[in-house]
Parts: sequence; C-alpha cells; structure tokens
Amino acid sequence: MTNAIELIGITKRFPGVLANDNVNLTVKEGEIHAVCGENGAGKSTLMKILYGMQPADEGVMRLFGRELSFSSPNDAIDAGIGMVHQHFMLANQLTVLENVILGAEPTKSAGLINFDEASSHLEEVGKAYGLTVDPNDLVETLEVGERQRVEIIKVLYRGAKVLIFDEPTAVLVPQEVEELFRNMRELKANGATIIFIDHKLEEVLEIADTITVLRQGKTVATVKPQNVTATDLAELMVGSELPKPQISESSNNNTIALALEEVSVLGDDERPLVDDVSLSVNKGQIVGIAGVEGNGQHELVGAILGTQEIDSGSISLMGEDISNQSVRDRRESGLGYVPQDRQDEGLLLTAPLWENAALGHQTLRPFSNGWRQWFIDKVGSRSQTEMIREKFDVRTPNIDVSAHALSGGNQQKLIVGREMVAQPSVLVASHPTRGIDVGAQASVWQQIRDARSAGLATLLISADLDELIGLSDSIVVMFRGKIVARLNPSEINPRSLGAFMTGAALETES
Amino acid sequence: MIDKIRRLPAYARWATYATIGVLILTLVQELGQNQTSHLTATSTAQTALKWSIPILLAGLGGLFAERAGIINIGLEGMMILGTWFGAWGAFNYGPYWGIVIGAIGGAIGGLIHAIATVGFGVDHIISGVAINILGPFAARFLSSEVFTGYQGGSVTQSPRVENVDKFTMPFLAGGYETPNFLKWLGDKEIPLLSDIGNILRGILTQTSWATIIALLLVPISAYVLWKTRFGLRVRISGEDPWAGESQGVNIYRYKFIAVMISGAFAGFGGAFISIEMSSIYQEGGTTGRGFIGLAALIFGNWRPGGILAAALLFGYPYALQFGDFDGFASHALLLVNAIALFGVVIWALRNDKRTDAAIAFVLGSLSAIWYFVSDTVPDWWVKILPYVIVIVVLIFFAQRLRMPAANGQIYRRGQT
Repeated sequence: MTNAIELIGITKRFPGVLANDNVNLTVKEGEIHAVCGENGAGKSTLMKILYGMQPADEGVMRLFGRELSFSSPNDAIDAGIGMVHQHFMLANQLTVLENVILGAEPTKSAGLINFDEASSHLEEVGKAYGLTVDPNDLVETLEVGERQRVEIIKVLYRGAKVLIFDEPTAVLVPQEVEELFRNMRELKANGATIIFIDHKLEEVLEIADTITVLRQGKTVATVKPQNVTATDLAELMVGSELPKPQISESSNNNTIALALEEVSVLGDDERPLVDDVSLSVNKGQIVGIAGVEGNGQHELVGAILGTQEIDSGSISLMGEDISNQSVRDRRESGLGYVPQDRQDEGLLLTAPLWENAALGHQTLRPFSNGWRQWFIDKVGSRSQTEMIREKFDVRTPNIDVSAHALSGGNQQKLIVGREMVAQPSVLVASHPTRGIDVGAQASVWQQIRDARSAGLATLLISADLDELIGLSDSIVVMFRGKIVARLNPSEINPRSLGAFMTGAALETES
Repeated sequence: MIDKIRRLPAYARWATYATIGVLILTLVQELGQNQTSHLTATSTAQTALKWSIPILLAGLGGLFAERAGIINIGLEGMMILGTWFGAWGAFNYGPYWGIVIGAIGGAIGGLIHAIATVGFGVDHIISGVAINILGPFAARFLSSEVFTGYQGGSVTQSPRVENVDKFTMPFLAGGYETPNFLKWLGDKEIPLLSDIGNILRGILTQTSWATIIALLLVPISAYVLWKTRFGLRVRISGEDPWAGESQGVNIYRYKFIAVMISGAFAGFGGAFISIEMSSIYQEGGTTGRGFIGLAALIFGNWRPGGILAAALLFGYPYALQFGDFDGFASHALLLVNAIALFGVVIWALRNDKRTDAAIAFVLGSLSAIWYFVSDTVPDWWVKILPYVIVIVVLIFFAQRLRMPAANGQIYRRGQT
C-alpha cells in the first residue's frame, strides 16, 4: 500500500502556544486512520493545516508522494482532500443541492448554474456510496444524521480521495453513530482514505485501522487497535489515568427543592415543545435529563429559569410557587444556572472577568450595595472574583483580562464558580462540560459532586451520556417534549439510553 | 384561497395581488362618500410609479448588500452621492451618462463601506452612519467647487439638466400614433376593469427609459441572485460565510462586489431623483428615501418582487397628493387602510392569532371611524403613511420575515 498522506515535522505556533510541535503522521491509502487526543492536543490545528485553512510554520506535507503546500481550502480540495466538519458547514436556508455544489458549480454560459447537471451528478455520487438525500430539501428541515450525510456528499461531490472526519460522532446518538460507521466502511471499500478525529476511545477502537495519539502538540504513538485497550489509549492521551464521572453513595434527604407539575410550553405554531412534564429534584440529588437535542430540553430549562413563558402547569422552588416570577426574582431566591453556550449566554466576552463574575448576581452582595443595591460594589466584586479564581482554579494572569482571553475550560470554571459561590438551592446545569478538556471536565464534575454532598439539588442536561449516567441519581428521557422514561442510572448503559432517546425503545415496547 | 394563490407561478401571483389591490380601490370609490376617482386615475398611477423608482432602487441596493451579509444603512448617503454625480454627469454628458455616472458615484460610497466593513471588519452600522454623514458633506463640498462655477448653479443646487427619453406603449397606450386601447377601456367607466385600464395606461404612457431599466432590474436581480454562480456565492456570504469559506469560496470578494453593486443601485436611485424627478440637483433632494428603501427591503422580505411591491405601496400615497385638490382621495386612504386592516383581522383569525386580530380590529375601526366623521385629512397624514405602513406590517408579519442568517455579522477569514 502506498502512503496517501505524509506529514513530517509539522510545527505551528500561535501567540503563546505551541499548537503542533514536530508532528509526524503517515496515513496509508485506503485505511481509516484515527487521530486522537484531548481537547487542545493539537488535532484540530493539524487538520486545519492539512486542509489549507492555516499554513504550517515548519514541516513538509506529501500527498501520494508529491510534496504540496496549500494556501487555502481550495488548494486542498483540488488536491483531493475533503473535510467533514464537526460543526456542520451548511447554510440552513439553502437547499441541499445549493450547499453541495457551492464552490464547484457546473455552469452554462454567463455564469448560469446548470442545476440539472448538478443534481444528476449529486445523485450519481449518492448512489455510488449508498448515501441518499433529496437535493431540493432545505437544509433546515433535515435531521442531524441527514445533515451529516449532506456534509459527506459535499466532500465526495468535489472528488475527494482523502476524507477528514472532524469529531463526527460528537453530535450523534449511538444509533446514528452506527449508521455513520457503516457509511465510513462503505467509503473505505470504495477506495477512499479516511482520517478520523475523535477522543471517544471505544469508537476509535471499533472503526480505525491505525491510531495516532497526540498529546500537547506532539505525536506520542502510532498503534494498531488490536494491540491496545481503551485504558492504554487513555493513558497515552492524558499521560496519566483518565478521570471518570462518578458519584458516591446517595445523599438524598427527601426535601423537594425543585418541582415541576404538568408544565407545558407551546411553540409559535401551537405545537407543544414541552408537553406535560412533571418532575422533582430533591436536595442533594442530581437528576439528569437525556434527549437528542431539540426535544424540548432547551425550552424546559427556559421555563425553569423564567426566560420561556409556560402555557400551563406550575413550577416551585423550595416549596414556593415561582411560575409567575421574573427571572430576577427566581435567581435571587436561589436558582443557579450554567448555560449551555458559555460564550453566547454565559459571558460578556469583551468584559473583564470581575464583571463577568457578577453576571446574574449583580443585584446581590458583594457585587452591589447602596439603596436597593443600585450601585456596583467594585471592591466587593473584585475580591469575590479573586476568591472564585482561587477556589475554582480559573487560570488567568489577573481578573482584569477580558473573558475571551480565557480558554474554554477556564471560562467554564469561572461560570461554575460564579454559580457555586452564590450557594444556590437549585442548580440547572446545561451541558456543563461540553467542549472542555479532561482536566477542566474533572474539576467541574468535582464541583458538582461536592455541592451535591452539601445538599444542592441539581438538574443536569447533557449530551455526554457517560456523564449523565455517571453523575445522576436518576435520569429522565425527553422525546418530542414529553418525558418518555424514568431510568435508574445503575441499570443502564449509553446504548440502552440512546435507544430511549431516539424513541426506538418506546416503539418496541408499545 | 391564499394557499392557492401562493402556488401560482410568480407572474400570476403578483398579478393576483395587484388585482386585489385595485379591487380595494374600486370598492372605496363605489362605497365612499365623495368623488374619489383620483385614486385610480391615470395621472396618479404615472406619478406613483415614478415616485416608487428611487425607493425600489434603494431597496434593491440593500438587497445585494444584505444578501451578502452586510447591513447597508449607508444607502441614504450613497443615494445623495448619486444625486450629485447624476446631475453633474447629466449636465456635462447628457442624461444617460448622468445615470451611469450617478451609479458610479453611489458605487464609490459602496466601496468605502466595503473597505470598512469587509476589509477592516468595522461594525456595519457605524460605517453606514459615517457614510450618511459623509455623503451630504461631500456633495456640498463638490457643489461649492464645481456648480458655483456654472450659470444657475450654487452650493445647494446644480443647473437644470435634461430628462431621459420617454416611451409610450403602442396600441395599448396609443404610442406612435396607434389606437389607444386602455384609454378606451378607461372611458367606459366599468368598475374594476376601467380602473385597471387607467392604472395600466398610467404605467405605459410617457414612461422614462430610466424607469423601464429600473423595473427590469427586479427580475434581473432575482435571476442573478438565485440562478447564477455569482448569486449563490453572494447568498452563502450572507447565510453562512464560514461554510462558503470551507468550500473554497473567496467570501471577501463576493461581499465586496455585492456592496459595490448595492452602492451603484442606490446611486442610480439618486441620479433618478436629480434627472427624472427634479431635473436638477438639490441639496437634501433624497428626503430620506434611502431609509425608506431599507424599509422596503424588510417589508419585501429580502426578495426582489417583495421590494417592488413595497416600493409601489410607499410611492402611492406620495403620488396621491398631486392633483388631489379637494383632498378627498387622501381622505379615502383612511378607508383603504381600514379595509386592509380588516383583511388582516380575517387572516389573523384564520391563523388563530387572537391578539393580532384584536389589534388589527381596533386600528381598522379607528381608521374607519376617522373616515366617516371627517371630510378631509391634514396633509401630514399622507406624509407619515409609509412609516405607518411599515410599523403595522412589522407588528403583524415580523415573525414571517426571514433575513439572511449571517446578516450584520462581522466575518473574518479563518475564524470560525
């Protein structure tokens, strides 16, 4: 077998960071080659270099033996490299066909797009690899799995021989992952070479022919999956043992902290987004909410927080009905919130850390003082922020830097710290460890565990099924706005949970 | 029924909407208290079309910029540059060159906006406001340097300039000494049919070639944006530039070109004001029509046909004031308003939007009551009508409007 790709001595520096340090990667033609490592290990940077999105500072790239250098994705595409992005690079308002042909539109005279030729070519590509989509659908009407198929077709349409899959399973439930793996094997059988970026070890071991591990910008090892176990890989990735989400014995004390009774939220088209949901969280208990994104979790969180109007039902916090209270009142009476998107909802990226630490608590001491707490207490805010920084290990030069200067993990630690020091009685944590590295993840888990022992009631929404199963005292599954199952985490695994999330388990039961 | 209309091909759909509009005007003439044939008079249609063109051109200009993701609040400033350059070009090289030079003047404004927003990543609103401040001052400075040297020119105005040639449709409107079918139809005084005849005759009689070119830009814009490679790449720049970048599209280039086209259209609109409407460059001659064009863009849901409809709707009340000596026609607009709002009530009830229906019912009733207790309206009523229409439309239809997803976001290559 010839080498499809050889990367030799790739080095890439960013201000203050060595993202890739003398990285070597050899991918054989027709294999599935996994590249794994923690967040921040340099996988994404390496792939961006390979795909021409960023130039390398040093090093050589060879594609099928020819030495190449790319100055834009266009060069990479022309050379036969295609990227299936983790965050779908699709315009929702455009059709599948428009998204696919973009950048390589077949034209008649005068720049007029030849839509007939385009859709017949798309159909050919789809048939050849067993991927079907309707070219005239708007992307916004497609489900996650279908969107990913469009991403793959997009790359194949351009004639890619080497496909880079950047964490493709991050957005999929286990059943969709299987479908994806089938597609990948099909592609391989048709002669494609695949680079598979991931940090989920079981998946890597299942699909890959060869595995290269990166740690802190360096290549640590290249191994065959049959020769290693998940634990070996984990240790290669982290350099030490991998932390696990786990809780100690029950600290449940039977006082209901948060209770939802028959809560419904209707959408603009009067269809229920949250449908008759009842649940309660006791003090010292963590209740996990599982569900494929878009099944009403977001609206449910909004309803509890007060940003989403509820159409029927009631919500009570520590025995007090808060259904008609404002967000402000709910927060002041002890509701903590870790939003799912820390950059959009959680922080003011251009504001200094100490201002960010006050967000959500700006009407309370020590962040403000004076008549009706009208004035910001700068001294109090700053000392409180220093306290969060120390206690929650937020790594920053000082508390006057703006929030966007922090890495994702440190931003998240700041947010979790901000909520925890306010000593809430109920915490709503939406995807608290999404997209942060293992170290920060372990620290966030530890904070949630500690707070649980101290009697905090937590509602945990997460797409990371291991996290849900590991941390929760009980799990409810949401599907199309309804609670369709209440599960005991000690009796399930990610696969069976995934079946409930897609509704598959329900259909077989009923 | 609405669903059936929606499924028609574009030309039939728009013809149906237009007929419904005329039907309302006919009804008002038949039901109204006073003699209001001015509502559908040939002269009204002629003036309305003319008044709509600058708004249309500004709207289409906004369309190109915003489809590429750049908010162009600087349309007004670019339009002002168009009025000056249009007049200067028309005075020196004749009206046709005047329009070309006016468009170039507007495109210079677009170039500045593009350099700021696309090149340097300046906030779109800030850059746009800067251009709106810069435009009038540049025009005044240029006038003081150039027009003061001409006979009849001053710092605030240019000498008179010629108009573009006009065209009258043969057979339908009697151009080239052929029979005038529409006049015959209009004189028959059959309800609705004669009204349609009069209006069509107004559109087809003595129409400036500049107007015809501007109207042709509507289908041309739709065609370019939705059927060509260039258009697809412009639209991806406004919907999801990062997706475009990942497929090797040079987003900067398309945004740049689109914003310059935007400026050129606004400049054409400005030149149209100088050359066709006032035959002179006058300081402040745009009277905020760049902003109304922006409103037409929103009202038209970022689509060329919708922008044309909005421009006509905004131009119509202006036109109605001319020759409406007794004020009855302007007064009758209250009834038109009421009927349209009661239409909204029905639409809202069918869609089970009770609050919207209630609001529309109250507004419609107020309008009807005002109509029946008075004989004339103050002249500010017609002047504010376009703004009232915008507010009403935004109240009821804002949720149905869909602007390009990445509109107004600052795009930098390589930063996802």
